[in-house]
Amino acid sequence: MQGLSPLAPAPLWRRLRAGWLHLVMAPLALLWMSPLIWIVLTSLKTKTEVFDPQAGFLPESFRFANYPATLTVAPFDTYLLNSVLVTGAILACQLVTITLAAYAFARLEFPGKKLLFGLFLLQIMFPIYAIFLTNFVTLRELGLINSLPAMVVPFIASGYGTFMLRQSFRQVPADLADAARLDGCGHMATLWHVYLPLVKPTLIAFAIISVVTHWNDYMWPLLVTNSDGVRTLPIGLGLLAKADSGADWTRLMAGTMIVVSPLLILFVIFQRRFIDSFMHTGVK
Amino acid sequence: MPAPPPGPLAPPISPARLRRQEALLAYALLLPSLVFLAGFTYWPILRSIWFSFHDVLLGDPEIFWLGLENYTRLLDDALFWKALGNTAFYTILTVPTAIVVALLLAVALDSRLRGMAIYRSAFFYPVMIPSVAAGMVWVFLYAPGYGPINSALSALGLPQLNWLYDSRWALPAIMVMSIWKYSGYFMLILLAALKLVPGDLYEAARLDGVNAWHRLWHITVPLVSPTLYFVVIIGILHSYQIFDYVYVMTQGGPADSTNVLTFYIYQTGFQYQDIGYASTIANTLLLFVLGLIGLIALTLGRRVHYMGER
Repeated sequence: MQGLSPLAPAPLWRRLRAGWLHLVMAPLALLWMSPLIWIVLTSLKTKTEVFDPQAGFLPESFRFANYPATLTVAPFDTYLLNSVLVTGAILACQLVTITLAAYAFARLEFPGKKLLFGLFLLQIMFPIYAIFLTNFVTLRELGLINSLPAMVVPFIASGYGTFMLRQSFRQVPADLADAARLDGCGHMATLWHVYLPLVKPTLIAFAIISVVTHWNDYMWPLLVTNSDGVRTLPIGLGLLAKADSGADWTRLMAGTMIVVSPLLILFVIFQRRFIDSFMHTGVK
Repeated sequence: MPAPPPGPLAPPISPARLRRQEALLAYALLLPSLVFLAGFTYWPILRSIWFSFHDVLLGDPEIFWLGLENYTRLLDDALFWKALGNTAFYTILTVPTAIVVALLLAVALDSRLRGMAIYRSAFFYPVMIPSVAAGMVWVFLYAPGYGPINSALSALGLPQLNWLYDSRWALPAIMVMSIWKYSGYFMLILLAALKLVPGDLYEAARLDGVNAWHRLWHITVPLVSPTLYFVVIIGILHSYQIFDYVYVMTQGGPADSTNVLTFYIYQTGFQYQDIGYASTIANTLLLFVLGLIGLIALTLGRRVHYMGER
C-alpha cells in the first residue's frame, strides 16, 4: 500500500495482514505450480511407478535416463531447428512490416488513414483459429503445404504489433524528429536513427509476445505439416502423445519437459522483461 | 506545444505536391503489411463467404452453386447447434471466471507482499507452456484411476470421476485447465493497472470503515474498468485456443460433449473435406465472436470509467 498516512498503526496490522495473505496465497501458488511439479516428477519415474497406487508421490530414484530415451524416439533436433527457424522468420518479418506501417500511421498524413488503420485493428479479432480453413486452401493453391514458409506467411502482418508500435512512436517528441528533418534526414533516416532507438522497449515487448505465441503454436503447424522434416516441437510432442497414448507417461513427460524448458529457462533468466512485456499489453 | 512547420528552410515546393509525396510514402510503407493482411486475413474471410454458397470439396477444382442450401443445412444440423452451445458455454463461463480469479490474485499481490516475484511467476508460468503440452499434462492429471486429481478425491473421501471420459464433466474439465492457463496473464495486465490506482484512495476508505469487499467492488473495479474491459476482449480472443485442447485431450468426445465450433470446422473441412459447409460454420463462428464483442462493447464498454472523468 503506497501513501500510508503517518498516523496509521501500520506495522502491526500490516504484518498480520501479510501473514494472512501468505496463508492463502502460498497454497494457491503451490496448486498452480503442481502440474509443472508433476511433469518433472513423472519424467523421472519408472513406468510401473506411474500406475502403482501404492507408489509414493516422489520417484523411488531419479531416472534421468528417461530423457535420452525420449530423444531417440523422435527427431527432436529437427523439430527444434524448425521451431527456431519458423519463430525467427515470423519475428524478423513482423518487425519490418510493423515498423514501416506504424511509422506511416503515427507520423504521416494520407487519404484513407482511418479506414486502413481500422483494417489493421480488425485483424486482431481474426486470429488463425477463426480463418484457418480458407487460409489452408490458399496455401495449398500456392503449393506451400508441408513447407516452412507455410507456417510463416499468415503471420507476417500484425495489426496488434502495428498498433503497439504506433502508440510508442506517437510518444516520441515531434521536436526531435523535426530537428533530424532539418538536418537533412529523410523520413527513413529519421525512422532509423531517431524513432527506432527510442522505442526499443516496445520492440522487445512485442518480440517476446510474438516468440511465445508462435513458439507454442499448435493448430496451424499441425494443419500444414505432414512430414518430420518440417515439423515443429509442439507438433512432435503431439505425435509422441498419440503414439504413447497413456501407455508411457514417463517418456511423454520427459518429452514435455524438453519442449517446455527452452521458454521456461528464458523466462527465469529474463523474468523482468517477460513480465513487463505481458504486463503492459493492457495499459497505455 | 505545437510542432513548428517543417518546411521553412526547404526550397519552395508547392504544399499540394508535398502532401502527395507524403501520401505516396505512406502507402509504400503500408504496402508490405497490406499485402499479407489482404492475402491472409481479408481474402480468406471473403472467400469463406463465397464458399458458403457453393459445394466445394477439398482439392476438387469444380465448384457448384448451392445458394442458401448450406445455411438451411446448418439450421437442421443438431451437431452444429451442440458445438455452438458448447462454444458459448465455454466462452461465457471461462472468460469471466478467469478474470475474477485474475483480479483477486492481482489485488492480493498488489499489496507489496514479500515474495511477490515468486508468486507472480507461479501464477504466470502456464502462459509460457505450449497448449499441446498443457493439454497432455492435464489428460494425465485427470486420468481415471491413477491420475493425481482422482487420487486426491479418494484421499478426501470423495467419489472419483471419469473427467474427460464423462460427457458431463469433459467440458468443465477443459474449462478448469483454461482458467489455470490464462488467469496469470490477465493477472499481470490487471496488476499493471492497479499500480496506477492512488493508494490514498484505499487508505481514506479504510479509515472511513469501508470493508475489503466494498473497497474492491466500489473503488478497485471502477478504477481498473478500462483494463477489465480490455481483458474481457483478450479473453474472448484467447478462447479460440480451445481447439488445441479439444484436439489433444478429447477429439471432441465423449459423444461430442466437447465439440466446439473451431473443432467442428476442422472435422467438416479436413476429415470430410466439405469446404463449402465448413466455411458456412466458420462464418457463423466469426459472427458469434463479433456479436459477443459487439454486445460487450455496448454494455460493459458504456460503463467503463476512465480515471479523471467526472
